[in-house]
Amino acid sequence: MISGEQLPRRSLLWLIICQVAVMLPLLERIPPWVVAIYLATALWRLQMFRQRAEMPPTWLRLLLGVTGATLVFISYGTFIGLEPMVALLLVAAALKILEAIRDRDGYLLVCLGFFICVTQFIFTQTLPATLYSVFCTGLLVTALISLNQSPGLVASKNEPLLALKMLTLAVPMMVVLFLLFPRIGPIWSVPSKSGQGQTGMSDFLRPGAVTKLGRSAEVAFRVQFDDVIPDNPSLYWRGLVLSEFEEGSWQTLGWRRLPSSERKPTRPEVFGEPLRYRVVLEPTQQRWLYGIAYANSSTAGVYEANDFRLGVTSPIEFQFGYDVTSWPDVALQPNLSAWRRDLETAFPKGLNPLTEAWIENLRNQYSDDRNFVVALLNYFREQPFYYTLEPPEIQSRDFVDKFVFDSRRGFCEHYAYSFVAMLRMARIPARIVAGYQGGEVNPLNNTLVVRQFDAHAWAEVWFAGEGWVRVDPTAAVAPNRIELGIEAALDGQPGFLSDSPISAYRFRGINALNWIRLRYDALTFSWQSLVVGFDSTRQIGLLKDWFGEIRVSWFIALLLGSWGLVLLPLMLWLHRVRRIQRLLPAERRFSAICMRLEKRGLERPFGEPPLHTLRRAREYLPEGDPLCVALEAIIEELYQMASSASEAS
Amino acid sequence: MSFPADHQDRVKSLLLQRYRRWLDRRLPAARMIILTQRRLFIFPSRQGFLFGFTLLLMLLTAINYQNNLAYGLTFWLAMLFIVAVHFTHANLLNLVITGVRAESVFPGQQAEFVFRISCKSSRRGHHSVRLIWPSSEVLVDVPAGGDVEVALHHPVSTRGWFAAPKLKIESRYPLGLLRCWSFASFDLKALVWPQPLAVERWESSYSENANQGFSDQEGLDDLMGFRDYRVGDAPRLIDWRSHARGLPLQSKLYSMPQHKNHWLDWRDFSGGSVEQKLSWLCWLVLQRHARGESFGLRLPNLELPVAAGDRQRDLALRALALHGLAQGGEA
Repeated sequence: MISGEQLPRRSLLWLIICQVAVMLPLLERIPPWVVAIYLATALWRLQMFRQRAEMPPTWLRLLLGVTGATLVFISYGTFIGLEPMVALLLVAAALKILEAIRDRDGYLLVCLGFFICVTQFIFTQTLPATLYSVFCTGLLVTALISLNQSPGLVASKNEPLLALKMLTLAVPMMVVLFLLFPRIGPIWSVPSKSGQGQTGMSDFLRPGAVTKLGRSAEVAFRVQFDDVIPDNPSLYWRGLVLSEFEEGSWQTLGWRRLPSSERKPTRPEVFGEPLRYRVVLEPTQQRWLYGIAYANSSTAGVYEANDFRLGVTSPIEFQFGYDVTSWPDVALQPNLSAWRRDLETAFPKGLNPLTEAWIENLRNQYSDDRNFVVALLNYFREQPFYYTLEPPEIQSRDFVDKFVFDSRRGFCEHYAYSFVAMLRMARIPARIVAGYQGGEVNPLNNTLVVRQFDAHAWAEVWFAGEGWVRVDPTAAVAPNRIELGIEAALDGQPGFLSDSPISAYRFRGINALNWIRLRYDALTFSWQSLVVGFDSTRQIGLLKDWFGEIRVSWFIALLLGSWGLVLLPLMLWLHRVRRIQRLLPAERRFSAICMRLEKRGLERPFGEPPLHTLRRAREYLPEGDPLCVALEAIIEELYQMASSASEAS
Repeated sequence: MSFPADHQDRVKSLLLQRYRRWLDRRLPAARMIILTQRRLFIFPSRQGFLFGFTLLLMLLTAINYQNNLAYGLTFWLAMLFIVAVHFTHANLLNLVITGVRAESVFPGQQAEFVFRISCKSSRRGHHSVRLIWPSSEVLVDVPAGGDVEVALHHPVSTRGWFAAPKLKIESRYPLGLLRCWSFASFDLKALVWPQPLAVERWESSYSENANQGFSDQEGLDDLMGFRDYRVGDAPRLIDWRSHARGLPLQSKLYSMPQHKNHWLDWRDFSGGSVEQKLSWLCWLVLQRHARGESFGLRLPNLELPVAAGDRQRDLALRALALHGLAQGGEA
């Protein structure tokens, strides 16, 4: 009977506001026609609300539903996947708005809204997105309350306030549950985000690949060091090792192509004081991680490859935090296998005849590998090479010839490419390492923010007995790049940040704004590491810190305790407000007399004025009956009390 | 295990009886009922289960995507539900319902029961309170510190006292996810008069002036004068003309010829069942009253002296309604 009631008009408006609000953050992920359906149904429903339109007939609504589903299938080619499912969910919600007539439709819409909020979290988990979802939740709860206001009565107009109050009261228990709820792995595999562009580094390097990153101020990852942050020149964030040259680009070697003897990572002897830090990586949709060599991670799911880089088995779709321990001084692979030596010295002959001749000449002068490398670096340092974000494009296959002897203007990958190619021509094992260099220190929380424009490519050269040594040809050309960071090195060149026209990073020159920017960044880091990245390892660590050991009984006690902490005051408050006025002694005596009168046969109708009772009692009872006298006295007392009370007020 | 059908029914009705007895004991009838802690029941509504199902889906999403924010939202809403339990409960707690009065009716009509709902708190009202009978329900908001009178209707069929059936008081405010309810039995009765049955020909044989038939006596009365209006005077006796001139209400006084037959007597009806006799008498009473005549009523165990007016009609109808019913029902 109750579930069949009309949807209150006020709550219809709230529901439409809610549905539009929960859809907004998904705008960039769903096809525009979903939005069109959404707005069309909302408008139609509003017209129905204003009694200017009729509800479309069932066949039309069915048709709309089928059309929506078909369009989803056409847009995505499948129903499986996160986006198609969200699109279907939105279509369903849009159609439900159209036929929201009864109040149970309202409840269904609110529940759909909550679910859409959750799906939004799968796409983005940033602080602003979360705050927006909190706002949406408030709206949805408001709509829920408006569904329960009696229409046309003294409906209180402060549903949002009540929603806020109730949601606030729910927060402490939510926090406890959040901390205590066991983080178990996925129960079944779920469709993942589709069509997400891979961001940051790509797994191959050709001239121009890193340059484009120099235009973006987006955050790549954030790092929190346990101790002091090392100097800028030692912050080489190793990501990819590019050992193979094919078709004009440098590529990583797939695990499948490694011989079985090379698959197992070699663990070098570690010594010295290690660096300990935690990296929170933004989603990259890639499988590799960044760290300072030699890096070792204790985080579950992170593996170490044979060429000393860190990786994960599935693409990183969400922010991912991992702990790293690095020993910067450790020698990497002091003994090179024959297979690897062949791999790391391979470079196609005949592509760059000019360079090959020049290298042969230089190699004759410096037979020692070390001296040769130094001579080569000197060449880069002494010749007029320029470090620039906007180098001339070199399309031809003889890239090294063109770059070294002709254009001489390039970004880090141009230098790394040429340098490694030249070393390989001299049969010295060398490879390109791609990653990031440097980062911005946020003094407010002592973290390092590494942005896309910090992307860098450098070389690793193998020396007998020393293993792989980092050599950065860019440092020879533009020492400021390594010492002070990219901004100083480019020194106002056009192109820098050109892909981030409104990034907050642009305002770092203004002190107050810079402080706000850094403060916000610190907040983002805390958000990511404390909330978004709260996994079972952190959970167990935290609980062990607090309680020593993990006992189920402790958990239950904590949970109930927090409930008591919140609900006890709430209950007391609600009860205090509702406490019934106690009867005054005179009033109690009066009702006692009335009961005695009733026993004698004189019934007192409910709500009869006491003076009427007295008059009837006088008629009914014999003259001078003690009950009558007592009644008179009591009534006098009551009236006196009432009059003095009214005077007092 | 299977019982024979009638056995099953017996068990069922026995259980139902037990439940009702338990409910009666727990919630005894009274004139004024305060919905205390002990009287309130609370359970998720159908919408509450829908909400729970949504939470389950959200939790599964959170687990499968290992998404902490999804966990957070799910827990937040789950705890909102817990908070809502207290709010919904508090919304009905200490609500005061008073059975004010019940209007007398004829069988087949809807008996009107008036209840007063009051809020003792000066700060928070009771929102969206629903009073439910199978036949009718009302939805009220009670402002803080105020009270509201509402009328509920219940169809009645037989004469006598009709006790207000158990009233269900329910509210889902504020979220609608929980249903808080209570039952209240009110010590409130509506008097159901006999069904009036037109008397075609009536011969008074036992009363004085037996030869006076029941005939139209309009115009026989002589206007004697006026007196101040008293509550209960028939509207047709009121001197509207003088009232229109701004004078206070005056009732006309007619001379009542002494020879006229005022008595409506049970013994005048030889045929017919008890109920029929009562129905006829009822019709006569209404007719007399409508004409503003005075009359008396004689029943086997009761005699109502001759009088006129609304009060006389009410007394007569009450006597007829309760004729032959157990005295216990006449409280």
